[in-house]
Amino acid sequence: MRLALTLSLRDLGHDWRATFCFLAALMGVLAPLLVLFALKNGIIQNMVTSLVDDPSNRELIAEGAARYPAEFFQALQQNPDVGFVSPSTRSINTTVSALRHRDARALERNVSVIPTGAGDPLIAGEVPEPGAVYLSESLAEALSAEPGDTIEMFVDRELSGQRETARRDMTVSGIVGKQLYGRDAAFLSLPDLLAVELYRDDRAISADTWTEPRPAPPYYPSFRLYARDLEVLPKLRSELAAMGVRARPRAQNVELLLALRTNLNILFLAVAGLACAGFWFAMAANLRAMTETRRVTYSLLGLLGSPLGQRRLIPLMQAVILVQGGIALTLLAVLPTIAGINAYFSDPGGNAVAQLGLVHVAATLAIGLVTSLTASGWALSAVGGIGMDEVLTHAA
Amino acid sequence: MNAGVAYRDGATPVARPGAVVRIRDLGIRLSPDYAVLIERFDLMPGEAVVLDSGSGTGKSTVLGLISAAIRPTPFGGESTHVLLGVAVGPGIARLSYAGPGQIGYVLQTNPLVPYLTVGENIRLPSRLAGAHIDAEWQDHVIGVLGLGALLARRPDQVSVGQRQRAAVARAMLARPRLLLLDEPVSALDPENADQVEGLIRHLAEDAGSAVILASHQAHRGAFRQTARVAHRLERDGEGRSRSIFATAARERGQAA
Ligand SMILES: Nc1ncnc2c1ncn2[C@@H]1O[C@H](COP(=O)(O)OP(=O)(O)OP(=O)(O)O)[C@@H](O)[C@H]1O
Ligand SMILES: [Mg+2]
Repeated sequence: MRLALTLSLRDLGHDWRATFCFLAALMGVLAPLLVLFALKNGIIQNMVTSLVDDPSNRELIAEGAARYPAEFFQALQQNPDVGFVSPSTRSINTTVSALRHRDARALERNVSVIPTGAGDPLIAGEVPEPGAVYLSESLAEALSAEPGDTIEMFVDRELSGQRETARRDMTVSGIVGKQLYGRDAAFLSLPDLLAVELYRDDRAISADTWTEPRPAPPYYPSFRLYARDLEVLPKLRSELAAMGVRARPRAQNVELLLALRTNLNILFLAVAGLACAGFWFAMAANLRAMTETRRVTYSLLGLLGSPLGQRRLIPLMQAVILVQGGIALTLLAVLPTIAGINAYFSDPGGNAVAQLGLVHVAATLAIGLVTSLTASGWALSAVGGIGMDEVLTHAA
Repeated sequence: MNAGVAYRDGATPVARPGAVVRIRDLGIRLSPDYAVLIERFDLMPGEAVVLDSGSGTGKSTVLGLISAAIRPTPFGGESTHVLLGVAVGPGIARLSYAGPGQIGYVLQTNPLVPYLTVGENIRLPSRLAGAHIDAEWQDHVIGVLGLGALLARRPDQVSVGQRQRAAVARAMLARPRLLLLDEPVSALDPENADQVEGLIRHLAEDAGSAVILASHQAHRGAFRQTARVAHRLERDGEGRSRSIFATAARERGQAA
């Protein structure tokens, strides 16, 4: 074993040109593959994730108005396929008459208000309590409002030809990013939304008392609903249909989006698989060629008493040394490249453009080990076919 | 080891602890119309014989057959192949009869392992067998063959004649009981050839090795008096020929 290792290493060192060519060939195959893989883990994964996992793709929109009791919402809340559900007061968005940012004196009219609650995928952070509001990014910009600011909300009503306006202060709790919600909207608690609706409809409620807490209504005409993930969206939709509830996905191409992720994974598996196969055959052929140039030496070793097992150990050890060494050299070249890519290109989400983790490095080394052990089979069988008689007549 | 056995040219040895080589009807068909056959080969400890038939008659093939480096062709009849009391056959581990202390083989092509130094090449058979190296004898062999200054060089850094001497040192290092020499001085000019042949013979005597020498130049030099292996070429009616080798027949009961 030790002698075989000595012979393997001495041989590689002596025939350093062949060793160099082997390593260069290995790096040539492996380096682009690792960079590609790093990009797949980085920017491509992030792009697909933001595309496919965009919460709005998971939204089911109620069609028409109905009467949904509290039990309906309780049942949905307990359904594992549901990511978020909230009752809603209209099938289209409610609007308030205006929002005004006091300090900046900015005013926006007819702003949509959307009920939110625990688990809302659009809200990152604490769910707004009554009196608090999240603004969509575009609305926040129009109002020059930032989290912590106070804005005024105005609700007009016209009852029997008489025009009245109610107002209240709202605290801005946070901003909903453009990529999550592209239009102007304010997200507020369900009690606050109900207060707006009640003030509009109920003469008994005055502009002074409209913000006081009131009992929840027995039925809601609509809902906001998000599936837990894109994969269960079709199932959730048919579950609703079975209950007689009609809802359509906001995304028109759910199947396409689902297929995109699957197909991309298949594509990468295919690329990696083909590259591994190519790598394997290249290694096998290279190792086989190496034994061919060493026929006379293997024949001599046999004649001098080296058992076949020991002679076979030489190309086997060389395969492991070359492949693992080649991978190490490739990593030495690829890791700075990846760092360079990350420094030069920036991902809008702030994630690394190219990513190669310790797991991937370990996996590469493991695949390399399996490759070297199996790809040397051809060379090993060739060594078995070299007779001791060759050295009698063929000069080294 | 065999230091006590007298070295004799082809003569029947006085002491016979068992034959070094005993072969009957061992051969190989090299092509459909050419075969090399060892009809009879007997060699006692310390004996020496010379193969001096013409080029292409099969001297190297005979040495290969004797050392079991060449796999024989079955010729129908029964064949015998005994080396140092071990019946050589397909299932027998090579090191049981061809270890460095048993056979030393100087090949006609003088191959050395290219990635080892001359010194490492000389010690390689003993290392492969895990055998102890007698440092005093090693120094003696290296000194006699004038290799002292070359030990650290690689084979591609020495001359062909120096390679030949290194190959001789490799064969002699473990004092083999049988020394096979295939044109060991072919690369040298006649004067040096005679001198190196003398050194080889001297070392073989010191080690007590029996010697089989294949050489074109044996009519001169240290082995000129040594017994020859008889050679004849037989042709059959269809143009097929057999190159047949045989050592001299011994008196009854003398062959071990
Ligand atoms: N594999 C082979 N197939 C066919 N013929 C072969 C083969 N190997 C050797 N021969 C032939 O067998 C004959 C014997 O070869 P060998 O090398 O034993 O001769 P030799 O007596 O040692 O010659 P030389 O003195 O030139 O070294 C030669 O004529 C050679 O051409
Ligand atoms: Mg020859």
